[in-house]
Amino acid sequence: MTITETKSPTPPTRRARRNGPVVAAALGVYRFFHMKKVGLLLILALSILALIGVLFPQVSPALRADPEAYQSWVLDQRVRYGGWTAVLSFIRAFSMFSSPAFTIVVTLLAISIIACTVHRLPLLWRQAVHPRLHASERLFDRSRLRATLEVPLPPEEATQRARQLLSRMRFRVLDDPRGPGANLFADRNRFAPFGTVAAHLAFVLILLGVLVSGSSGFREGQFTVAVGSDRDIGHGTGMNVEVLSFADTYQADGRPKDYVSEVILRQDGQQVARQEVRVNEPLRHDGVKINQAFFGVAADMRIESADGDVLFDRGLPLEWTSEDERLSYSSFRLDQPDVLIYVVAPSSGQVVDSIAPGQVRVEVYPGEEDVPAATEVLTQGQPMEIEGLTFTFEREQKFTGLMVSRDPGAPWVWVGSILLLVGTYLTMGLRYHRVWVRVTPHGDTSIVRIGCPDRIDLAFEPRFRQLEKELAQPRPPETEG
Amino acid sequence: MLDISNLLHNAALLMTVLALIGNVIAVATRARLRSVQTPSRQRVAVGAGGADAVLDDAMEPDVDEGRGLGWYSDRLIELSFVTLTISLVLRSLVTGHAPFANQFEFSTAFAWAVLGCFAYFEWRYKIRGLALLVLPIAVALLFYASNLDKDVSPLIPALQNSLLLTLHVFTAVIGNGAAAVSFAAAVLFLARPHIHWKVLPSEEVLEEIGYRAVVLAFPMLTLMIVLGALWADTAWGRYWSWDPKETAALVTWLIYGAYLHARVIAGWRGNRAAWLLILGFVAVVFTFLGNHWFGGLHSYA
Repeated sequence: MTITETKSPTPPTRRARRNGPVVAAALGVYRFFHMKKVGLLLILALSILALIGVLFPQVSPALRADPEAYQSWVLDQRVRYGGWTAVLSFIRAFSMFSSPAFTIVVTLLAISIIACTVHRLPLLWRQAVHPRLHASERLFDRSRLRATLEVPLPPEEATQRARQLLSRMRFRVLDDPRGPGANLFADRNRFAPFGTVAAHLAFVLILLGVLVSGSSGFREGQFTVAVGSDRDIGHGTGMNVEVLSFADTYQADGRPKDYVSEVILRQDGQQVARQEVRVNEPLRHDGVKINQAFFGVAADMRIESADGDVLFDRGLPLEWTSEDERLSYSSFRLDQPDVLIYVVAPSSGQVVDSIAPGQVRVEVYPGEEDVPAATEVLTQGQPMEIEGLTFTFEREQKFTGLMVSRDPGAPWVWVGSILLLVGTYLTMGLRYHRVWVRVTPHGDTSIVRIGCPDRIDLAFEPRFRQLEKELAQPRPPETEG
Repeated sequence: MLDISNLLHNAALLMTVLALIGNVIAVATRARLRSVQTPSRQRVAVGAGGADAVLDDAMEPDVDEGRGLGWYSDRLIELSFVTLTISLVLRSLVTGHAPFANQFEFSTAFAWAVLGCFAYFEWRYKIRGLALLVLPIAVALLFYASNLDKDVSPLIPALQNSLLLTLHVFTAVIGNGAAAVSFAAAVLFLARPHIHWKVLPSEEVLEEIGYRAVVLAFPMLTLMIVLGALWADTAWGRYWSWDPKETAALVTWLIYGAYLHARVIAGWRGNRAAWLLILGFVAVVFTFLGNHWFGGLHSYA
């Protein structure tokens, strides 16, 4: 993205020898990373790894962290990938974005970007502030854009004319005191190349933001709350979410129209927000964001001990689904007595013979046992005694599935994104141009030579020709209105 | 109104096909005429003859045709672009949102951007040869769209964000359209040494046009990804999910980023940079058609 290549001013090998082997090695590493070819190869490597991540299904980090569940998932992939499944799993094709290879390439790219930026910054500064003013004859002979004109003015006036025209084109014009003749250097958009610095730093800033997002804050992707119930967010926020209602509406053709949860947010017991949370309208408060994610069936359950103490009384989101997707279920544990309780109901739209509409099945597992001590089907509103406890299925409800998160990395990402856009605009929208002018006497007139050695720029070429044309005209240029 | 919109869509397809045929004939005829009439044209020394003799032969724009077939083909492209614009506007009036919500709308908008970007580059640089590669892309997109479901469906909840839907997909459409032009320039660049048509500009000019198209495409793709992240953060609760389509868009962006780096490395200029432009457009097409096999959060698009 640079306009002009410039050689490094200091021979690093000599400096390295002077500073000893450690510094020499460090400088060697630095030189390696600021090579543009290294940066290019790292970008291509990152593209290939990301492409692998696109081509193959990716497991969630939670599933990848559970060896048993992951093996089961990989076995399922054998249907599609056959004997290649083990190889693909080994090279982390199914979890590419958390793989060591991906992390290493991203890290090396970040180092390369930093090294490249540090290396280029002094060169860009020198180019912008102290440009090379003098041009050899060779530049006027060989530049891609060049012109030699006989201007019917004495050299002083011809020089002044060139200066005026260039200034009108918004060039910075500097005098070169060295001869032969009168010499001008002019450049335009001299700070535009700093856009590359901004864009490169933006990339590093975004990576930093991603790192902060992954290592701090929290994200509860399956934050389920039954309608009429409330739940603490935790994570030191002191916040609590109460769901007053949930509604899912559909178009006439069955396509979803809207999902909306009416939510009250409390912090330290005080209501701080109340909002209808929709897919595109999250609730934001004090850095915490609550998004509408999914929904399902809940069961309002009440459990009393033999003494009449209420042990459980709230809506229970049946957020898990059986393998055949016919049943929705959930579980919870009571401390006294120590039992694990499963509540099972038919999934939405499913008909199950053993559980009629308006019924749920309750399974009670004492302690850590795998076999239920009792399995009973409860009918809505009819209490039943199971293992010394009185269970009541009060009503079927809905639950809303929210995503609750606090992401301190996000602001870094947004700042990086803005910087990236600004840098890209500066680099690509404002191109750096340089023009050298030499005016020498030729009898009563002047010979004016103009040269622009920069790479071809079809947008600039007509402006250069206009400059040439106006300079050749006998009358002075019109002043800008 | 929807019927009129669909009719205009088909009319634009027909006009683009005719413009393509016209351009093929215009290029072939001019190539033959040039080779017969001026087989040994000499280049003018740059700068030697003042302002009127500055364009060397390789830079000479493909003009001076009068109102020949090429001229009418150019007008037909502009007419096709305007027709497609009206078609999309009418559809937006019916649906109540920008025409970017399903594959039919996106394909049509993509073709619209290809035609618009081509019309601009053709007007700006007068390189008729680009039409031979760019117009088939527009024709393919319009033909593909005409075989998709054109019915109007209400937006699903995730897409119910008019501002971000418009901005995010509009930037994608413009970026893709400019990428098509850069692809055409790159293919012509690679073919230039093997095709001795005088109507084709020099490799240097083709390289510059490829770059100019990327100057439009890359910032648009950057903006598209940033706006997509912003929308994802609002709708899905996180700015990046490694969703297949968003990752494919990132791969496309990385390839164009690699191209921009390649241009400043001596050994990577020319052919290698041109291959990166071709690879970039392959990535654009892969991302565009990816909905057929990706799934994920963009599966509705």
